Amino acid sequence: MTDARARRPAPHGGGQARDRPGRKLPDALLDLVDQAVVVCDASGVVSWCNGPAAVCFPGLRPGMTPDPEVAGPLGQAVAASAARFDVEFLGRWLTGRRSTVRDCSVWLVSDDTEMHGCAVELRAERRRVAFLSEAGRRLGASLHHGRTARSVVELAVPALADAALLVLSPRGGHVDWHRCAAPGAAVEAGALPAATLERVPRLAKALSGLSPRPAPCRPGDLAALGGAAPPAAGPGGECFVTALPGGGAPAGALVLVRASGAGDRSAADSAVVREFAFRAGLALSTAGLYAQQAHTAAVLQSGLDPAPLPEVPGVRLGAAYRPAPEALGFGGDFYQVEPARDGGGGVRFTLGDVCGKGVEAAVLSGHVRQSLRTLALVESRPLRVLDVLNRSLLEADSGRFASLVMGAARPAGRGALDVVLAGGGHPPPLVLRRDGAVEAVDVGGMLVGALPGAEFGQAAVRLARDELILLYSDGVTEARGGPTGAEEYGAERLAHDLAGCAGMPAGAVAERIELRVAEWLAGRAHDDIAVLALQSSPSSPASSSSPALPSRSGSSGTGTPGVPR
Amino acid sequence: MTGVSAVASEVRAAFDDRLAHADEAGATALALGLLRSGVAAEDILLGLIASAQAAVGARWVTTEWSVAQEHAATHVSERVVAAVAAAATASRPRGSAPARRVLFACVEGERHTLPARIAAEVLRLRGFDVTFLGANVLAPHLLSHLHLQGPDLVGLSCMIPSRLPAAHHLVECGRRAGAPVLAGGSGFGPGGVWAHKLGADLYAPDPAAAADMLALRWPRPPEEAAPLEHLADEEYFRIVRQRAELLRRLRAHVLERYPWLSEPGARHAEAVMEDLNRLPDAVAAANYVDDPWVLTDYLSFAAQFLPARGVPTAVLGSALATLSEPLRGLPRTAAYLEAGRCWLTAEGHGPHTPDDQAGPAAGPG
Repeated sequence: MTDARARRPAPHGGGQARDRPGRKLPDALLDLVDQAVVVCDASGVVSWCNGPAAVCFPGLRPGMTPDPEVAGPLGQAVAASAARFDVEFLGRWLTGRRSTVRDCSVWLVSDDTEMHGCAVELRAERRRVAFLSEAGRRLGASLHHGRTARSVVELAVPALADAALLVLSPRGGHVDWHRCAAPGAAVEAGALPAATLERVPRLAKALSGLSPRPAPCRPGDLAALGGAAPPAAGPGGECFVTALPGGGAPAGALVLVRASGAGDRSAADSAVVREFAFRAGLALSTAGLYAQQAHTAAVLQSGLDPAPLPEVPGVRLGAAYRPAPEALGFGGDFYQVEPARDGGGGVRFTLGDVCGKGVEAAVLSGHVRQSLRTLALVESRPLRVLDVLNRSLLEADSGRFASLVMGAARPAGRGALDVVLAGGGHPPPLVLRRDGAVEAVDVGGMLVGALPGAEFGQAAVRLARDELILLYSDGVTEARGGPTGAEEYGAERLAHDLAGCAGMPAGAVAERIELRVAEWLAGRAHDDIAVLALQSSPSSPASSSSPALPSRSGSSGTGTPGVPR
Repeated sequence: MTGVSAVASEVRAAFDDRLAHADEAGATALALGLLRSGVAAEDILLGLIASAQAAVGARWVTTEWSVAQEHAATHVSERVVAAVAAAATASRPRGSAPARRVLFACVEGERHTLPARIAAEVLRLRGFDVTFLGANVLAPHLLSHLHLQGPDLVGLSCMIPSRLPAAHHLVECGRRAGAPVLAGGSGFGPGGVWAHKLGADLYAPDPAAAADMLALRWPRPPEEAAPLEHLADEEYFRIVRQRAELLRRLRAHVLERYPWLSEPGARHAEAVMEDLNRLPDAVAAANYVDDPWVLTDYLSFAAQFLPARGVPTAVLGSALATLSEPLRGLPRTAAYLEAGRCWLTAEGHGPHTPDDQAGPAAGPG
């Protein structure tokens, strides 16, 4: 309840003091109620009013016509024949209601100033809470630094200011800025040389962390920013700089510009600005950290992803690669194909699988690939290469080993392709004959890097025109799925599906096998999957299949699924 | 669709011929020749490759082409798209504002990359900075790219309505990270009706229209969408939990009715079983978006696909009946199954059509 005493007339004040001699008892009683009571007779003239009426309408006396000049909203309501009003008058919030008693209009007017004040404050508080919760949601939505910076200025206008400029902490000799120049305007962004800040001491101070409180800017303070400067506040407006505290040094400085008297800023008091600056700074510094780490991961990963397939006359290649989904693109499977160096044409190729998955397996697969590339420069006998690799992996003592098939494919005239293979511990490659028959090529051999003195196997096979050899990792045959969800895809199903690929180009075969496995998995978790297909290319040398991987920019390649970026 | 008229019918026939022979070199040379002769890259992508590919799909449905032929042709089309995109330059004027970044993905389980690939290339040619994530994109994959690249827009392609629940994940994923979502592909239903239901900010019937819409007005930063209230009855989750059991019953029923499907080496048996296996997913997706059209859309495809492979359409009605027993007690689902039955009857695929070759010992008919 509101405190009625404050709204009562002073005991001896007011137009009709209650102890005036001759005042009737009902009149005196009506002075006790909280509401102002004003009675107008049939002709519209005030015939009577109680004590509180003199507080709400100080100039009003019985015998007067209640004109708007003296009686404010009451007068307007009478003039307009309205039955109620709800409006501010002389610093009080008045709510009036008209009743008719006999020929008279009786106005009961409450002074709701306090209630109204509470309601206004409540609405403002709700707006503050809504703004800060929206800010929290949007600033937390993305870890991307540029997007977070944009959200900061988008949130600031119009809730906190009519224009906002965010200047980020200097990085690599320049400062990035984001600006929203007016409510509803698109966010602009750009960069300035870091040296510019020396001519804008207000900003330099905020960015150095020496100015923890919002500091006002005078006109001209930001002129050195040139095209990045926010619009001027104009006469009666204000402009100030707030540091956005990050982890350690400020993540940036926010310039807020408010034109005079523009909009309702009741939700934008300094506590809200401080709270917003805190959240924005935290979000920006987190995003900055994420960007650094993501960049590191991307650089390392680009060295571990399969390289694009080369274009080599006489050989047509296809590949598919799908790392286990939880590892965000890092896998232990690998393949690589390079043009043969010995001048005889054709390619050298390897497909392998380092035990385990994820980034640990990917690092070792990088080691294996690099070793193979180096060994190829000094040793052409595959069994010797495997032997050295075996010793190298054992000496690295990582506790990890690999299975792999390596070999060379060389055009042998009349569209035939001679393929020699060597390897250890790997699922046998499959040959697809022209009539659709599928043969497994047993290479044999032991795992690489598991035991000292391990022995490795060799095999050779000739492919006629339109025949194809498929190398794959055990992620293909061991993919669990099917109707029950627990059955392995298996060598038999693989051979069956490969048989259905007779006559298809190598790139399409690799994709088709990967697709069949994915359908078998139906979205279930799986190990890394790698597939490499080789065949002799038809007469036209231009038709050799080029990389089956999307490029880094994603602009070319066949969009092999599961390969990030 | 723009540009259909820009490619002459004899050119199209020559291109179809290259696809039929999986002649990548020939098809690429033909498309690059058109580009050199002044045909716009967008017209080649949409007017030649996309429409030729639609015909490839139709030949596969009618079994005129084997799966291997269809796949080889699609592979060639993909390569031609890559070649045209690499040869054509974007029409973006130099010195203009930095290009808007678009992340383009096919929803989880979606294998039809070509339409999405073409859409991505068309947007690139229209000056957008596009990253194409490929087929079968899962939410964590999309999320890591959203945080890494902070795109201005996420493009989602969905060609099969059964994948709509997965599409919804990605829509929410993109919008929560502050990127509005553009939906495209026939999987979002006629006029994109399901795209809007799942909270996508924009739907475009084809990539050229998408580029036009984006040039006209960029979508506002997304606000949290209302949840799908009808899912509160948990019917969808109960269907998904029972998927393996539904598939088992469906398979047993179909093999009992058409024993030849389990004979070794039966032609099309695998394709038939795969298609029928999609029925529970279609029922689940209908439930997810609360629209029986998702189910009838599946049925209308299966009613073309199955007879071409020697299985009468009567199997569809009895397959629906097989599902209704394990799914009893789910009123919304019962209504969709009933709508499916009514559709089959109205289209003349009722349970007692004369072409039903089921033997006398077959199950309920």
